Amino acid sequence: MESRMQKHLNNNDLLALNRIILRSHGDGCLRVDKTPSRVADNEAQQIDPESVTLRGLSVGYDKPLVFDINKTIYPGDTIAILGSSGIGKTTLMRTIAGLIRPLSGEISHNYPKRGGIGYIPQRLGLVRHSTVRSNVALGARTRRSRWYPFWFPLDQKLKDDVDNAMKALKILDIADEPVRILSGGQQRRVAIARTLAQRPRIILADEFLGELDKENVNSIITATKEIVDEIGATLVLIEHHEERAIELADRIWRIIDENLIEEGDSNQ
Amino acid sequence: MILINKKLFFLGISLIVLAWLSLDDLVDDWGQIEGAPEKLQTFFSESLFPPDWSVLEAEVWADGSLHKPNGDVCNENLELFCSKAWTGMVVTIKMAFVATLIGFFFSIPIASLAANNMAPLPIAMPARVLLAGLRSLPSIIWALLFAIALGFGPLPGILAMTLYTIGYLGKLQYEAMEGVHNAPLESGLAMGLTHSEQLFHVVIPESSNHLLSQLLFMFEYNVRHGAVLGLVGAGGIGMYIDNYINPPFDYNKAFALLIVVFVVVVIIDLISMLIRSFVTEEGDVKRPKWWSVILPPSMAVEMYSKKEEE
Repeated sequence: MESRMQKHLNNNDLLALNRIILRSHGDGCLRVDKTPSRVADNEAQQIDPESVTLRGLSVGYDKPLVFDINKTIYPGDTIAILGSSGIGKTTLMRTIAGLIRPLSGEISHNYPKRGGIGYIPQRLGLVRHSTVRSNVALGARTRRSRWYPFWFPLDQKLKDDVDNAMKALKILDIADEPVRILSGGQQRRVAIARTLAQRPRIILADEFLGELDKENVNSIITATKEIVDEIGATLVLIEHHEERAIELADRIWRIIDENLIEEGDSNQ
Repeated sequence: MILINKKLFFLGISLIVLAWLSLDDLVDDWGQIEGAPEKLQTFFSESLFPPDWSVLEAEVWADGSLHKPNGDVCNENLELFCSKAWTGMVVTIKMAFVATLIGFFFSIPIASLAANNMAPLPIAMPARVLLAGLRSLPSIIWALLFAIALGFGPLPGILAMTLYTIGYLGKLQYEAMEGVHNAPLESGLAMGLTHSEQLFHVVIPESSNHLLSQLLFMFEYNVRHGAVLGLVGAGGIGMYIDNYINPPFDYNKAFALLIVVFVVVVIIDLISMLIRSFVTEEGDVKRPKWWSVILPPSMAVEMYSKKEEE
């Protein structure tokens, strides 16, 4: 098993692999270790209270897809997750978003349950029969207390934020159109505007830029960066284009053979 | 040779065989069929036909004045408005309208608790059991119970229709809600939207087409059932039908009233089509007109392509 895996790995990756194999209980089969690893313990002593900590995290549905992730996401980071399809990028992101339970290990952060996490799924998750404005307003809704009755209109400050987010992504002129008639690029802008109007602490975006053309990509990136800097959010992206990921992100996570490896990380 | 999935083919065949076996098991005496068409024909020609359209006229009293079925003097411009068919239908439609609307307001929240993509199983199961309970008593039994408690009249009919509407519409609604795409719900969940926000800002807009068509279907269903509920004295057109199919029998008038119910149902269906055209996505797609089927294909294609250019 070891040799078969080694064929696909470079030196850097092997180091990470060794760590798991050393913890594999001596019987040669990989087993998820439930105790937090030493590296994570060291990190735990110096965490920023605003950060997201992944300790000994294994994600997957029935069987694990990615093993033993020990990482800290610091506020203001921009992280791109790379890896071939079906390898568990989306599963990892959904686990961080709190939509599925980790198989083992834990995710800890002190973000509010309401409005703390912004998640843009691969299929965008827009309400197709609602207008652009009400979709974007959905994000702003999470900024007021959950005890507000749902029929209460947003107050002026939140309404302004909705307008600003739409203006930044250049969808203000189609604000009253139903989402279902928009093009793919426009829908992606709506999804991003919704998350920006939400002002979350961390934005998890699955295929953030999708298959947009160069021109759209640039304008969306500038608009997003502006607001993200303003609200000081963390950005975690899944990207297929490697060069785009390197250009966008300041940390690159790569998933190779069930391991998450950070590029340029001397710990590994 | 027709290419068909082998498994599907055998499944279909075995289902048909099973249905036939069940039917054969249930029916003891196939001789019943003998002479059935003739009997029906006799019933139709002697009792039902022709429909007695006097139900569309006001009652004429001994002094020659026109009266409504409840005894009031007819002051309407048109005699039809004082007839049994009209007044009964108006009462039935009012009953169905009120019952459907109240039922809808109660069924939406219950259905949202019963939909398994919106609520966990420990909450969804009781909600489903509640809906099934309301649904398992037919509206006529509900009407009977309320008629015992409240006496005759439209009120027990409305209550019966309302309860049945909650059970029946709730079932249709939670199935429509479960058909909503997962992605909007998931991003809403990650964002931290509450259950009611998810329901009113995500699920209802997403399933609006289904919810609306089910609502209109339920209205139509309640109008049709108004004809049945009359049998237990719940008022409306059903009460008059009930009068005519009991001694002294007057099937011709009952038949005329049933035709009125049929016409109203068709009208409601047309209105429902019109209303739904505002929320379906069909408006976004150009479709050929119905009359293009009678044109020769070449002409139809030409016309259709010309329309697209516009």
